[in-house]
Amino acid sequence: MIRPFDFDGDRFDRSRRIDWLDVNAISQTKVLMVGAGALGNEAGKNLALSGFRNITVVDMDTVAVSNLSRCLFFRESDAADERFKAELVADGINGLAGGRSARAVTAPIEEAASDLFRGSDVVLGCLDNVLARTHVNGQSYRAGKLYVDGGMEGLTGRVMVVRPPDGACLQCGMNKSHAKVASLRFSCTGVETVFHEPRLAAEITTTSVLAAIMVREIAKHTSGRDDLMLSNMLYYDGKQNRMEELEISRNPDCLVHHN
Amino acid sequence: MVPLPFRIKVKNAESGATVEMELENDNTIDEVIESAATFWNKEMGAYVVRKGKKVLRGTMALADAGVREDDMLELVPDPEGG
Ligand SMILES: [Zn+2]
Repeated sequence: MIRPFDFDGDRFDRSRRIDWLDVNAISQTKVLMVGAGALGNEAGKNLALSGFRNITVVDMDTVAVSNLSRCLFFRESDAADERFKAELVADGINGLAGGRSARAVTAPIEEAASDLFRGSDVVLGCLDNVLARTHVNGQSYRAGKLYVDGGMEGLTGRVMVVRPPDGACLQCGMNKSHAKVASLRFSCTGVETVFHEPRLAAEITTTSVLAAIMVREIAKHTSGRDDLMLSNMLYYDGKQNRMEELEISRNPDCLVHHN
Repeated sequence: MVPLPFRIKVKNAESGATVEMELENDNTIDEVIESAATFWNKEMGAYVVRKGKKVLRGTMALADAGVREDDMLELVPDPEGG
């Protein structure tokens, strides 16, 4: 039912004025968001406000005080209480969306069932290390799901869009420097393998820009407008105000395309 | 036949600085990345090299990647954080 001139009774009235944006399709799309750190908080906020209503948030970490400068869904008490990031982001999304739109998975993504990928429509990578990215890239590709990955350090960042079965995947664009970075994250004590979490420079405005681009790419895809999307990679430098699309070609030797 | 060395420039996307590099056709993009990253003390991060809009594949030899004398490549960070 509508009333004349009642344009403010619909939460998505202003979104519906963007003629190509399919708000109904957005509300039904199943999003798998892997990572609930700084990018995950910002992306979660953008997903909720954009109208996504079926979101699974995966992250095994708990909140640290150093997260609080970049994460709108975390509070100081969450660090003291060792709350799971995924639960807080899912709660935050549900608070903004006004319903049960998000659920949390607090297991490592490597141990999460591959059903999680098959059961989703799109995958959002808000990760903080090369190995997890490689895993999510491979799983998304094998499940045939669009994968949008973000990465950042300081005021620089990049967004990568992977569209199976076409084009390049995240791994196609990797080289020896990525393998070196991945190897630096792990050391073997003889008893166990220890993961060294990198403490990279970060600040919220760059996070906001990248998460906005990531969610917008998913909204375009969901609205059937792949023609408006990045071809594969966007490089961003907030210090110099540079934003540029780069092209990664498919690597015929990339293992992801041979499984 | 002895491969002839040729020179290119590599630009640091973050600082705008450039460095000249003497290379041979069979050097790889991985070697360019490693040399430039070491020169600018960036050994702890992942990088790609671009020529124009194209990101060049690490394992490719310069000749196969279409890199020629006097080309300007750019070392672009591929940041890991999230
Ligand atoms: Zn690939």
